[in-house]
This record gives sequence, structure tokens and C-alpha cells, in this order.
Amino acid sequence: MNRLIERHRGIIDFACSSLLRRKGKNISLVLVYTLMVAVVASVIFFVQALKREAALILKEAPDMVVQRMVAGRHDLIPLSYGEKIGAIRGVGAVHPRLWGYYYDPVYRANYTLMARGDGGPAEGRVVIGSGVARTAWIAAGDLLTLRSAAGDPTLLQVDAILPDSSELVAADLIIMSEPDFRAFFSFPAGKATDLALTVANRSELATIAAKIVRQFPDSRPILKSEMLRTYESVFDWRGGMIVVILGAAILAFLIFAWDKATGLSAEERKEIGILKSIGWETGDVLLLKTWEGAIVSLTAFLFGTILAYVHIFFFSASLFAPALKGWSVLYPRFSLTPAVDPYQIAVLFFLTVVPYSVATIIPSWRTATADPDAAMRS
Amino acid sequence: MIELSGVTKCFNSGKPNRFTAVEEVSCVIEPGVVTVLKGPSGSGKTTLLTLIGCMARPTSGRIVLSGFPTLPPLGDGGTGRVDVSSLPERFLTGIRRATFGFIFQHFNLVRGITVLENVMLPAYPTGEVRGAVRKRGMELLEMFSIGRHASSRVDSLSGGEMQRVAIARALINNPSVIVADEPTAHLDSRLSREFMEIVGSFRSEGKTILIASHDPLVFDSPLADRVIGMRDGRIVAGAPPS
Repeated sequence: MNRLIERHRGIIDFACSSLLRRKGKNISLVLVYTLMVAVVASVIFFVQALKREAALILKEAPDMVVQRMVAGRHDLIPLSYGEKIGAIRGVGAVHPRLWGYYYDPVYRANYTLMARGDGGPAEGRVVIGSGVARTAWIAAGDLLTLRSAAGDPTLLQVDAILPDSSELVAADLIIMSEPDFRAFFSFPAGKATDLALTVANRSELATIAAKIVRQFPDSRPILKSEMLRTYESVFDWRGGMIVVILGAAILAFLIFAWDKATGLSAEERKEIGILKSIGWETGDVLLLKTWEGAIVSLTAFLFGTILAYVHIFFFSASLFAPALKGWSVLYPRFSLTPAVDPYQIAVLFFLTVVPYSVATIIPSWRTATADPDAAMRS
Repeated sequence: MIELSGVTKCFNSGKPNRFTAVEEVSCVIEPGVVTVLKGPSGSGKTTLLTLIGCMARPTSGRIVLSGFPTLPPLGDGGTGRVDVSSLPERFLTGIRRATFGFIFQHFNLVRGITVLENVMLPAYPTGEVRGAVRKRGMELLEMFSIGRHASSRVDSLSGGEMQRVAIARALINNPSVIVADEPTAHLDSRLSREFMEIVGSFRSEGKTILIASHDPLVFDSPLADRVIGMRDGRIVAGAPPS
């Protein structure tokens, strides 16, 4: 056992000296490698963190939302639907919701407007998302100017800004009173955008949804799980968009690894020949090259992962934000919760360390299996 | 003892550029003596050394080693005789590491690392305790009066110093046979004589020394117990030095 440890120790020592004597080349190698790992790791951390944030926020979402469909499109739902749905066994409560979109031509931004009854702002007042506050350059106590559906300017006083923790899905939100909302959009009385339902027993959700569809064939119940899936697919789509970036980064990495691998210099080949002639076995040479590759790739992996972690969780993915968060000019600004999934680290490891190690060992193996005199003459 | 019978080495076998470097060489190299392979460039001396030193296998013929205390046990039935002509690479490496110490014409030191590291290199794969190897390496460097250069990079040494490092490296695993290929090719007369003095000390320690050289300072030296002449891959003469 001691001999085995001493053998590894000796070979690791030589691997370190070996790397140090080509300092310039190896430092630039580690830098490029670290950068690639950082890009790939940032993508993985970012997509996963977004999905986690969305899931956390949707915890508060209603168990079910019922919409009305006309000609296959979402239409306003009569409040009478809510009364009848509330009478279905198993349905806890029905809350009609009022919400809609507003395009602000001044700032070229889309806002989501929502009415809240109890506990919401008073008439003439609003609570806004921090994205809106940033875009319109307003703070609590200022006036927000919007143009109503009738074309009249509407002045609303900002009561408060929504907390940062909700920014991912609430950056563009404007919450107002129901009378203000109805007046602003000329929204018909006795109708709502949709109905939010709470259900006592979650396992009955599908049954209740089926009953609603039977009773109101023009309705579309959307379960919380479906909403979660939609959010996931949205973020996955965003993830999917950067799969191209990820693919390009991995391809660049493979080319880089292959170049490194096939670039075994005459000097390196001669050294392998020297080592073999002084009594090193093929296995010893491969062990040396494995350690060299491991030192380079693990260093790059460690620094690349730390760099990505800092980029995503301390600098809020500042390099990716313009491309990946939100749309229009309203970008959410928020800090993602630092968390790392071991599975992701394993995926990252296999995407980056393994190809490099394999690409490094193969040419060394080809040289090391030759007779030492042949290796020295090559 | 090293016995060669009908040893032939061809390169590029089966191709139009086939070349026979050593042809039908048969001889016996006695243990504990200095044997010099003498001949012009291209006569096959270096190739014969690589075959004897287990760095390559002969195309045909047999090379048998016997009586060397450092030979690893290879299922020879206790005879102490090992036919190295057809051994797998792993066994050849074991023999090369334990039995032979090589001194190359161009020294073949690993550039960019220290003198001491170069000397210790052959011992790394053996798994011997680091401290012991380091101590032995330092002793060897002191023996050759280059201990002060132990932590210098080999690139900064003179030709003579490099050769002494190469000799120290060849001795680190305490081999029974020292194989030297054109050891004086890059040395002036004074350093060449110094080298032969070192060879004399090896002989007095009972080591077997095999040198390939076309330098008269080597093959005409009184230390050369036997000179084997070579030309065109064949032995042309074999007689004790005058």
C-alpha cells in the first residue's frame, strides 16, 4: 500500500514539475478551459435557479384557474359561472380575478394590470412591481400616468413597490382597486378575466375540473400543476434558446481538447521515450499524463464553477440577463438564491473534465506503447 | 552474463525501405568487465545496445541474461536465466528498471526540471520511499562532485556536468549493468578521461559495463577488457585491447 502511495506521490510530483516548466502554455490553457467551464456552468446554474424561483413563487398560486373560451380564445367569464362553480362539491372558494395587459408607448414597455379587492390599494392608488418603478422612474408616493381604454389620461398614486423577492414574475405588475380597473379598461360589470379556485382536497382536482367542463362546456380549467409546467417550459424554452450557446461552448471545448490532444509535441514524445528508456512502464506514463490532465482539468473545473457561481448568484447573471430574463424593456432585477444541485455538478464534470482527460491520454498512450527506442527517435 | 545468439534486428519489415541494423550477431558478454562495441556510425552498435538493454526486441535470435542479482524472478525455474527476446513489454520494463542503467549519447535529461529530480526519475515508478531515493540521489551527485547543482535546472549545466547527471541517474536504482551509448561524443579529452575513470570505479564495484563508442580514448583505454568490432550490423573482430 505504501509503495502504491509513494508511486503516485512521485508521479504527481513529476506531473506538477512537468506542468510548471511549460508555465505560459499551461496557464493560458487553464484560463481558456476555466472560461469555458464558467460559461457552461453559468448556463446550467442560471436555468436551474430560474426554475426553482418560479416554482417557489407559484406555491402561492390558486389550485385551479377557470377561464372562458370563445372561438378558441380566452374571453371574459361571467361572475355567475363563479357562483355555480362554488356550489360544486369539493370547491373551497371562488375568487373572480381581474387582470389585463397595458402597453406604455412612452417607455415602450408592457405592464400587467391587476385588480385586488380586499387588502388591495384604495381607489386612485396602485402598488407597482419594481420593474415598472425602474422603467417609469417613479417611487412610492409619486404619480403614475396611464392612458385608459377610452384614451383619457389616468393619474394613480403609487402606494408601494412590490418586494424584490417577487420580481421574477411581478416586475411588470400594477395592482389597483377593482373600480379603477373596471373604469380604466371599460371592463364590463358582472364579468371577470378568470376565476381562481381553492380546492379542499387536491386529489379531487381532476374530478372537479371535469365537472366544471361538463357544466360549462365553454370553460377551460387550468390546474396549478399545469401552470407550474407552463412556467417550467417557458424557462426551459429560455434554457432551450441558450442550448445553442451551450452547444457552441461544448463544441469549442471539444475542438480545444482535440487540438490539445493531437498536439503532442516532438519534445513531449521524446520525453515519453526517455521515461520509458529509464524504466517507466506504459502504465506509469499514462498515470503521469492522467495526473497532468487531472490537475489542469480539475483546476479549471474548480475555478470555472466558482466563477459561474459568483456570476449567477452574486452578480445576478449580469452577462446573461439582457438575453434571458423578461422581455420588452422590463427586465426583472433580483438575486437568485444560491443553491447547487450535486446532479448538475456531476453533469458539468462529465461535460468538461472527462472529454479533456480522454483527449489528453489517447495520444500519450499511442506514444507510450511504442518501444522506448522508437519513441526516442520519433 | 549476456548471451546473444543469431540476433537480427530489422526496421520497416515487409516494406520497400526495410533496413537491417543488426544481423546474425552472436557473442557472450561476461559479467563484471568493461566491454566496448567499436565501429563507425551506422555499424549497428546503438541498436545492439537497445536490444541488450531491453529497449527493443530482436526480429530474430535470442538474448539471454543470467547471473545478475537484480534480475526479477520471471518463472525461469530457478536457473537465473531469462530469455528477454520475446518477453512482453511489462517484463522488459521491469528488467530494464532493475538491471540496466543507461547513459545516452545526448544525455537525454528531462529539461526544465532540477538536477536532483532528473536523477530521481527512474525511481518514481518503483514506489520506493521518497526520502530514501532523495538521499541516494544526493549521495550520487556528491560522488560526482555536482551536489551543489542539485536544485539547479539541468538546462544550466555544462556538457560534462550533464553527463555526470546522466551517470547519476543511471545508478539511482543500483543496476548490475551500465549501458553507455557514445558517452564521450560530446566531451573533450579531459572529460572523456574523467568518464573512463568513473567507468573504472564501476568495474571495481563489480558492475558490468557495456559501451558503444568509436572514440579511441574509450576503446584504446586500458580499462576496456574486451573490444568487439562492428561494421554493417555484424561483428567483424573481437579481441582484448592491445
